[in-house]
Amino acid sequence: MSLLIVEEITKKYDGVRALDRVSLKVERAAIKGLIGPNGAGKSTLFHLISRMEKPDSGKIYFKGKEITSLEPNEIAALGVGRTFQTVQTFGNMTVVENIMTGMHLRLKEGVISSGLWLPWIRRGEKEGLKEAKEILDRLGLLGRWKSPASQLPLGKQKLLEIGRALAMKPELVLLDEPASGLTPTEMQQLSERICQLKKDGITLFVVEHHMGMVMEIADEVAVLDHGKVIAEGTPDAVRKDSKVIQAYMRGKRTDA
Amino acid sequence: MVKQSKKEFRKRDFFYLIPLWGLSLIVPDADDLYSYRSKDFKRRELYYLGVLLLLPLIWSDQHFHHLMVLAGIYAILALGLSLFLGYAGQISLGHAAFFGIGAYTTAILTTRYAFPTVLAFWASAVTAAAAAFLIGKPILKLKGYFLALATLGFGEIFLVIVQETQALTGGVIGIFGIPWLSIAGFSFDTYLKQYYLTWGVLLGLFLFSKNLVRSKLGRAFLAVAASEDAAESVGIDVAQIKIKVFVISAAFAGFAGSLFAFIMSTANPGTFSLGFSTLIVMMVILGGMGSLYGPIFGSILLTYLMDILGRYQEWSLPIYGVILILLLIFFPDGIGIRLGIRLIYLIGYWAKKKKRDEGKF
Repeated sequence: MSLLIVEEITKKYDGVRALDRVSLKVERAAIKGLIGPNGAGKSTLFHLISRMEKPDSGKIYFKGKEITSLEPNEIAALGVGRTFQTVQTFGNMTVVENIMTGMHLRLKEGVISSGLWLPWIRRGEKEGLKEAKEILDRLGLLGRWKSPASQLPLGKQKLLEIGRALAMKPELVLLDEPASGLTPTEMQQLSERICQLKKDGITLFVVEHHMGMVMEIADEVAVLDHGKVIAEGTPDAVRKDSKVIQAYMRGKRTDA
Repeated sequence: MVKQSKKEFRKRDFFYLIPLWGLSLIVPDADDLYSYRSKDFKRRELYYLGVLLLLPLIWSDQHFHHLMVLAGIYAILALGLSLFLGYAGQISLGHAAFFGIGAYTTAILTTRYAFPTVLAFWASAVTAAAAAFLIGKPILKLKGYFLALATLGFGEIFLVIVQETQALTGGVIGIFGIPWLSIAGFSFDTYLKQYYLTWGVLLGLFLFSKNLVRSKLGRAFLAVAASEDAAESVGIDVAQIKIKVFVISAAFAGFAGSLFAFIMSTANPGTFSLGFSTLIVMMVILGGMGSLYGPIFGSILLTYLMDILGRYQEWSLPIYGVILILLLIFFPDGIGIRLGIRLIYLIGYWAKKKKRDEGKF
């Protein structure tokens, strides 16, 4: 059974159909790409999956469970991590604290016990710190673990966001335009890291404007245009699809 | 150049090191400031504690003791508000109400029901926290200006309720004759004893909040302040965190209010007005948001400022206003934080001045 199933989902903004009965499936331990020209509804779909917005109709299943009406934090608790199109690291914390914030649900709770710094809280913090450093090491950010997140360059902040999502030990990570604003070298590093994540058994769902990168890393690609899925399949099949070529030719020229 | 490098180190450089070493004990490390805030305990905090304990003994002046008691009470209040305002990034203009709830709980329980004072002290915090929980549920859904207005409204409603329920609160006149706080027969009846009481309570609450902000809850507070969407995306229940921090900060205010009632031995509605709420917000902002020392520093500073300006009678308010404006212009991110950075810069500047003069840089 697929990990994530989107069924007949519709979202309207003031009568404009941003998404029109979109159905998608994301398989376990694979990289699924979602591409499409500007305004195709890619980000809207992501917002709907992580429940930052409500769909007008349709259903979303994760691990066979319906998640359409859950709160965003409950969806995170089920094991769905995400990053944002415009980076949203916690600039008021250090790099390592950002990662540790990602462990929120796994650390022990309690106002009084935290305030009194009881042994299990202390132990949790210590283990959390160690684990956070391991994650930073994997992402190549360990050198700056103590500096404020707001001082990192954009590329590193994007990595940090991925790291924060990984700290949740998620089964599915939604990456919203991970490559936007990155230099070609940074992009290369990013695709390597993403492929590494797949090997670690994490399912990735990537929305990307930059077609080249998605075609390179994804196992399966869906193309969205005007709120509809116009093609779905392996990168090679999608690239040759006439509808896709047409959709992209109408809009911006791409380097795919 | 060869000649200069011989001069690089001389015996008298040792003498420069002594004051610098002294400063290094009390001044935060530059590293801490630039890596935002380091949350573990430092050795220099023991020095602060030492100064705190010895200060009233060295400077044994009744007026000074009384002022420090007041400053301590304000500091407890400001510390609580700092968690809400500085860490979680929410605004409250109604904290005087929680302070008032604490003071009235103590006043009513001790004078009317003859409660043991220690019990009344704890009950005050619990009542304030319960009130915060009840009003927090609906109003914490609001953000920014709307939250400010809602909390402001809550403060005013509290005042009206206090003035109208004369049977319970004594109306406009208030309640008199609250006994001293006494623990197992030891009563805090002199300014010196009250100094240790207030600052002792403050110390306890300070350690509590320090632990809180370095735990996962503290990170959740900061996450909510930075980006609510991102906080939700890692599984933080933003609404719940906001209520938690609101309740904690109200409990602090309850403790402060209770101490205030014990020490002043009265509780009347005039104290808990909007002016007082803004004063507390001012203490947090002036001291430095998002730090725990900042609000304590801010409350000492403003208490003294008000005391000194009290001598100038009708001029005191305009002067007070001008000073506040100047402070906000020149220390926008809080005096504590700004002075710290400045001092570190100066130390670095002195240390390198010699080399710079010799054209080393």
